[in-house]
Amino acid sequence: MMGPKRSRDGEMKEEKLGRADQAASPFMPMFEGFRTELDQHHDRRERIIKASRDITAASKKIIFTLQRVRTLGQPVPPFVVKGNAQYWETIENQYQNIAADVQGLNAFRYPQITGGNQEFMEALSFHHYLETQTLISYDESKERVAKMSGEAGPVLLTPEDYILGIFDMVGELMRFSITAMATNGKLPAGKPKKESQVKQEGKEQESADKMDVDEQTPATTRTEEPRTVLSDLRALRLQLEMFEPGGGKFGADVRKKADVMRECVDKVEKALYGLTVRGTERPKGWVPEVREERRPEVESY
Amino acid sequence: MSAPSGMIDPAIFEGLQSKVDEDTTVRDELKDIVQALEKQNRNISFVLSRAHSTPFADLPNVLKASEEPIQNAIETVSKLAQAASKQPYYKFNQMWSRQVQDALQGILFWAWLGGKDYDGNEPKCGCLLTLEELGETLKVPTNLKDQDKFHITIEEYLLALTSMVEELTRLARNAVTLGDYERPLLINQFVKDVFAGFQILNLKNDILRRKSDGLKYRVKDVEDVVYDLSLRNLVPKKQQ
Repeated sequence: MMGPKRSRDGEMKEEKLGRADQAASPFMPMFEGFRTELDQHHDRRERIIKASRDITAASKKIIFTLQRVRTLGQPVPPFVVKGNAQYWETIENQYQNIAADVQGLNAFRYPQITGGNQEFMEALSFHHYLETQTLISYDESKERVAKMSGEAGPVLLTPEDYILGIFDMVGELMRFSITAMATNGKLPAGKPKKESQVKQEGKEQESADKMDVDEQTPATTRTEEPRTVLSDLRALRLQLEMFEPGGGKFGADVRKKADVMRECVDKVEKALYGLTVRGTERPKGWVPEVREERRPEVESY
Repeated sequence: MSAPSGMIDPAIFEGLQSKVDEDTTVRDELKDIVQALEKQNRNISFVLSRAHSTPFADLPNVLKASEEPIQNAIETVSKLAQAASKQPYYKFNQMWSRQVQDALQGILFWAWLGGKDYDGNEPKCGCLLTLEELGETLKVPTNLKDQDKFHITIEEYLLALTSMVEELTRLARNAVTLGDYERPLLINQFVKDVFAGFQILNLKNDILRRKSDGLKYRVKDVEDVVYDLSLRNLVPKKQQ
C-alpha cells in the first residue's frame, strides 16, 4: 500500500535526483489545494457522524426512561425529568457541536445526521405525547432542534426525519400500552376534559374502565370520553397511511416502517382483545404475549 | 373524520404532504434534464471513442465531429444549473452527480486530445483542464463555498479524472496498434503525474478512494506498454 506520506518523501528524493521524467508532477499544487479541502470535508463529516451516533444513543436512553412513565396527559414524574436531564443536555451539546458544519451550502451535504435526527424525533414526540397526549407538530420539532443548535445557526430537521421518527414513535406507544395493560390491567387513557372532571370527579375510574372495553362506545353523557392510547394510535395510523412519500430512498423507508407501524397497532388491538375477553381471569402480573420485536433498523441515508 | 379529534392537528400532515410533493415536482423537472444530459454524454463518448481507432493524423476529424455533442452537453448543463440553483445544492445533487461526472470526463478527454481551443493545425495532446477551466468550458461555477448554488465539486472533478485515466490507458495500447509509439510515452507521463497527485490526498473509505486505488493498475498498464516498446527499441529516440 502506498500511503500519502511515502509518496511525498519519494517525491522529494526524485527532485533531488533531478531526473526529468521523475520530476514532481505539475499537477501537485492543484492537488494540494484539493487535499486541504477534502480534509476539511472529511473532518466535518466525521464530526457529524459522531454527533449523530451520540444523539441516537442519548435519545434511546430518554425513551427508555420514558417507558417507565405510567401516566398520560400530565407532566412526567420528577424521576424522569431528573434522569433524562443529562441526556437532553448531551443532545443539545451535540447539535451545537455540528451546527457550524451544516450551514448554508452544507445544509444538506451531510445526510449522516438523519439517524440522530430521527431518533431524537422519536424521543421528543414520545415525551410530548406523554405530557400532552397530542402529536408534536413538525414546525415545533424543527424549531426545537434549531433552538438547541445555538448561535451558529440551526441544524436542519427535515420533514423526512420527522415522519420517520414518528413512525418509530408508534412502536414506543405500543410498548407503553402493553406495559400499562400488563401492570394496571387497562389501557392508558387521558384525563377527561375539565368540564367532565368537575362534574363527575368520582366517576372517573368508571368511565376509564368502560373505555377499556371499547373505546368507541358512543358517549352517552354530555361529557367527552377521554381518549385512549389506542384511539390515538389509530389516528396516527390513519394519518401515516394517508401520507404519500413519493419514490426514492425515503419512499422505501416509509413503506418498510409502515409495515412495522401497522403491526404495532395490531399488537395493541390484540392485547386489548385479550384483556377484554379474559380480563378478569387474568392473574395479576400476567404479561400479554407480545414479543418485543424491534423494528428493523432503517439505515440512515 | 373518523380520527378522534385532539391527538393530531390535521394541518401537520397536510403541511408535510405538500412539502414532500413539492420535492417530487422538483425531482421530476430535474430528472428530464439529467436524462437529456445522459443521452448527450453517450453521444460524446460515441464520437470520442473513435480516437482509439484513428491515426494521429486524422484526429482533427474526430475533434471536429465532437464539437456538436459537446456543445449540446454544455447547454444542458447550463439548463441543469439554472433549475438546480433554485434548490439547496446538496439536497438534490446526487440526482445529477453521476451524469455531470460523465460529461466532465468526456470534456477532459476531448481537451487532452487537443480539442479545446483547437486551431485546425496539429492537435496538441496531453493537457489537463483544471477544475476552473472545466467550469469555464461548461459555463458553470466550480467549487463554491459561500453560495448555495449549482457548481462542479472537487469530488466530481477527481472522479471524472480517474475515468479519463482509464480511457487514456486504453488509448496507450490502441495507439501502439495504430503504429503510434509516441503517444504511449506522453500518456505514461501524464498518468504518472495524475497518480502522484492522487497520492497526496487523504481519502476516506468512499467511492473516490476506490477509484483512486484503481489508478495504480492503470499506471502499471501504461508502463507495460512503454516497457514493451522500449524492449523492442520502438521508443522514438528524441523522447529519451
